[in-house]
Amino acid sequence: MNTFISTLITGTATGAIYALAALGLVIVWRGAGVVNFAQMGQAMFTTYIASNLIASGNSYWLAFVVALISGSLLGMAIDLLIMRPLAHKKSSSSTKTLAATIPVIASLGILAILQALAGVFWAGEERGFPTPVNSFYFKNGTGTLPFSAFNLFVIGVVLTVLLSLSYFFTQTGVGLGMRAAALNPEVARLSGIKVSRMRTLSWAISGAAGSLAGLLITPSTNLSPNSLDLILIVAFTAAVVGGLDSPLGAVIGGLILGIGISLVTTYGSPENVFLAILFLLLAVQLIRPNGILGGKQVRRG
Amino acid sequence: MKELIVSDLVTDYGHVRALDGISFVASSGEITTVIGANGAGKSTLLRTISGLEKAKSGTISWGDIEITNLAPEEIVRSGIAHVPEGHAVIPTFSVLENIEMGALFRRRKNSSDVKAAISEVLDLFPRLAERVKQSAGSLSGGERQMLAISRALVSRPKLLLLDEPSLGLAPLVVEQIIQTINHLCRSTGLTVLLVEQNANTALAVADHGVLLALGKVASDQSAAAMRADSALRSAYLGY
Repeated sequence: MNTFISTLITGTATGAIYALAALGLVIVWRGAGVVNFAQMGQAMFTTYIASNLIASGNSYWLAFVVALISGSLLGMAIDLLIMRPLAHKKSSSSTKTLAATIPVIASLGILAILQALAGVFWAGEERGFPTPVNSFYFKNGTGTLPFSAFNLFVIGVVLTVLLSLSYFFTQTGVGLGMRAAALNPEVARLSGIKVSRMRTLSWAISGAAGSLAGLLITPSTNLSPNSLDLILIVAFTAAVVGGLDSPLGAVIGGLILGIGISLVTTYGSPENVFLAILFLLLAVQLIRPNGILGGKQVRRG
Repeated sequence: MKELIVSDLVTDYGHVRALDGISFVASSGEITTVIGANGAGKSTLLRTISGLEKAKSGTISWGDIEITNLAPEEIVRSGIAHVPEGHAVIPTFSVLENIEMGALFRRRKNSSDVKAAISEVLDLFPRLAERVKQSAGSLSGGERQMLAISRALVSRPKLLLLDEPSLGLAPLVVEQIIQTINHLCRSTGLTVLLVEQNANTALAVADHGVLLALGKVASDQSAAAMRADSALRSAYLGY
């Protein structure tokens, strides 16, 4: 029983991190129409920044805040320097069907560049990454409780972020403007909303969410230029399972994957994790092609 | 008072020349209607004025400023609101969110006036007031058109561009919407540029008419004169 509860709690904690990464993907997809394969590359990069700050004697919390800020700045820079100029080119290109894939290919390029740069700057050796609180199971007399302070920290942080984002998108003017810009850019512009600014903001929020996911997952994966590749795959699956259009779906998808992977690892074997992910992806695609909470129409471009 | 002056406006739509040298004036506080057959360039004209399409040449001036080829989000700030064709609302938003969207850009400087503007449009369209929490997707076609107009009105425009408000609506609803616009124009001095395929309805309330045919102005005169011109009616309007 203890094993089962422990599996569930660890699964929820990692699931919460996947949910965060998946939410980052959904925000850029909805807000800017781009499937961003560079997201966890950005997160890897900002986690390295945090790691270096800690190594040079700064506190975890300073590194934490700097990583989140650089995550949102990196997201904004990608939009302003790469995606926005590409979008302007797109409209003049005669190959319309290809146009939608251009930013996606660009995001793959950005991923490669970030990984190469990390290798150049930080030699690419694998290193550990600290947790702000104890990651060993709580002691209860002679036995242990089936979760650690870090598990609770992760769940708490992610929950706070999700609630704040939900408040931001539904209750504030800027959130309303971002949703309008995503759903109907033309009506949004006629309403005076600066749509391209809203897109940049989507990239910033998504970048910060990805960075946070990177900071929270890296203690259990270690840090190397490729250490978050796997998280991208899981987060992408979570986003698709939830319906790429739906933020709530991304969160549900993340939790399903986190708990599912945890159960498979404990009761099956770790080698079967990928098989399980693929199975889930296929099953959802067969039964509900638009995801659990996805809209009826698949949006393209 | 401001008037809209369009001179020698040329706009291409894809490879087609949609507007081929359009000139006219929409006088302040009046309803000017732009009529003509499908494909005459009526919608493109409104879309060029509001900045959604780029003009190839010619100028659009609004009062003492030139607005040719400004971005739509700038043009709405100058007091021009465009209600595009097809009941343009966001269906997954609530009625209130759709209305609030139109006032987002002025909520910081003028939050009390934004509240006043929202309650004014809800007074204007009581059917929307009963449904503020409902999603816009659950509204009837007429209510959606009222919502699209409300979204434009909360920006407190001096010039309202209306693209085929009657499209797909029952005659009674059309009458109600047109009369509301007429009342707004007469009571608040709002300038209206009304695009309609249904010339009868439009000319009945308009002060001035501009008839477009294949991207050119075929006739530009008072609405009363247009109503009386049977040769023009049979040549261009088919009745």
